[in-house]
Amino acid sequence: MQGITRLIAAFSAAALIAGPAAAQAPAEQKADEVPSPQQAERERAAAQPGNNAPVWKEVRSGQPNYTSIPGRETDVLIQPGARFPGQSHFSTAGEAWRQFRNGVVTFYGGWLVVLVLVAILAFYFAKGPVKLHEPPTGRLMLRFTDFERIVHWSTAISFCILAVSGLVMLFGKHLLLPLIGATLFAWLTMLGKNLHNFVAPFFIVSVVVMVIIWLRDNLPRAVDLQWLNPAKVWGFFAHSEHIPSGRFNGGEKIWFWAGVLGLSIVMAWSGLVLLFPNFDQTRAAMQDAWVWHASAAMLYICASLGHIYMGTIGVEGAYGNMRNGYTDETWAKEHHELWYLEHKGDRRVGGTGGAVPAGAPHMKENA
Amino acid sequence: MARMKFLCDAERCIECNGCVTACKQENEVPWGVNRRRVVTINDGVVGAEKSISVACMHCSDAPCMAVCPVDCFYRTEDGVVLHDKDLCIGCGYCFYACPFGAPQFPQAGAFGLRGKMDKCTFCAGGPEPDRSEAEFQKYGRNRLAEGKLPACAEMCSTKALLGGDGDVIADIYRDRVLRRGKGSEVWGWGTAYGPGKPGAAPAQPRKS
Amino acid sequence: MKKLLFVMGALFLVSACTERQQVIDQASEKRYQGKRDTQPWDNDPLAYAKAAPNSFAAPSWNKGDRASWETQIKARNERQNENKRIGD
Repeated sequence: MQGITRLIAAFSAAALIAGPAAAQAPAEQKADEVPSPQQAERERAAAQPGNNAPVWKEVRSGQPNYTSIPGRETDVLIQPGARFPGQSHFSTAGEAWRQFRNGVVTFYGGWLVVLVLVAILAFYFAKGPVKLHEPPTGRLMLRFTDFERIVHWSTAISFCILAVSGLVMLFGKHLLLPLIGATLFAWLTMLGKNLHNFVAPFFIVSVVVMVIIWLRDNLPRAVDLQWLNPAKVWGFFAHSEHIPSGRFNGGEKIWFWAGVLGLSIVMAWSGLVLLFPNFDQTRAAMQDAWVWHASAAMLYICASLGHIYMGTIGVEGAYGNMRNGYTDETWAKEHHELWYLEHKGDRRVGGTGGAVPAGAPHMKENA
Repeated sequence: MARMKFLCDAERCIECNGCVTACKQENEVPWGVNRRRVVTINDGVVGAEKSISVACMHCSDAPCMAVCPVDCFYRTEDGVVLHDKDLCIGCGYCFYACPFGAPQFPQAGAFGLRGKMDKCTFCAGGPEPDRSEAEFQKYGRNRLAEGKLPACAEMCSTKALLGGDGDVIADIYRDRVLRRGKGSEVWGWGTAYGPGKPGAAPAQPRKS
Repeated sequence: MKKLLFVMGALFLVSACTERQQVIDQASEKRYQGKRDTQPWDNDPLAYAKAAPNSFAAPSWNKGDRASWETQIKARNERQNENKRIGD
């Protein structure tokens, strides 16, 4: 995003400079008589020997110069200018990044998370969970295999660790530090940072496996378009009206493609740039990566709150499906009718003989 | 009330890197870290080559301080920006935010894992008891507590690098500029109208 | 009512997410939660400086007296002015 704004700014600056120059070119002499900046500075140095302005202009330019000190960017005196989304003017890159982090991300990001949380809770208290219409039959179907559940919970638990430690690093200074004091907070944040660094690769691997195993079932189907109809979605959430769907419904597919796949790619790419500072990437690259990382993280956390709500208290019986792997025929029929019809009586996918596997007691009582 | 500042006179710096060495020696700076560095502009261009020594500038509104997730920075009453290495988590945010590239991280493990941040302390140590062994180990010498000024500025051979109370070094620099008769043109007629007498008519704009 | 309180509490928490002022005053001194640093003037001058207060090396100050420490620092600062040090 910032790259684009920089590009646009560069183009507009070029247009500003080129505009008048192009207009003047025919009237004046040839273009090659316009002195180059270096030449102009040399002339000024001769005419005004005490004028140090060119030196200080150079200092502010952010260009690499000569230094005998080894290390990356040690030859830059002051970081070049940058402008992040929402900023009206260029400032030194570090300062621009600080304004973006401490202004845009903490303010809008913090509000977004709080508002989503409040909206979900308000909805829950106002409308309650999505309920089953008929009593469970007691006949179970296999909804998720052991491997699928291992992958899901690996991703879910590592995501929660990453999200909590990331939020602590962003907001802990304001929320937690005044409560628990600097020593304990610094220890916790240090722990959080190390967990963040070491859990992240595990999360990436889990997401890759998850995308591979669920890709086929998440391919969009015509029936899923109903999930783009606000009236239908409202009917589902508020009045428990069923929208027929295959193994995954339209909402789950949006979460899969936009969240699990899309946001994970942004998070993983930007996170890896930040995680391995030993590849000689510049500060500008890491600032850009951080901006993507934090912005995507805010969206990811908000979306995951929705997913966690739906998977636990928002939809009756949903948590048990992922916990135990089995679902009741009634639940399957009322939530994933097409999948139910496809696999009813299919012994390979799920037994329908009425036997309750030991691991799936959650559907027995009228849960 | 003293306000500690650095000032580097680009007319005088001869790129001897003595300040860098003095700093490393005085503070026993960790391997791979240079709290101060000398950068040369237009290196090798006759008449245009200027060198500047740069380190932490102890900003009044310090970006490092503002972005630190654990709030490990503090500013002393003399305007020196210091930090507590016991709190630092090595996230690198101060390094992103600093315009001058002052905060640096000794490598603490594989894959460039960052250790505790290290930067110029204006030879004022850190929050450990002044002049203690612990303070020296973590932050280097506390020369302010010894009644001295930063080693880099005090040993600068051409006195290009001035360090100390802002009022005093401003006086020294002003005095110097008046004596050598150059440097002040940045503000005056020379900049606005080129060489000429004060009060002369400004140059005519070029016809388009 | 509980819900309202919860919302208000959440809003209150987020309202903290701004930058704090970087002014050195009594309040910010208290807000800094890390280890306290001692002031440079709260130290004894070095032994040799004490023995010869007006020696070349380091003029002396009185422990705990900020004004005298600053006077000594400024005097030492003047040594960076070679025009005064060497004379004209």
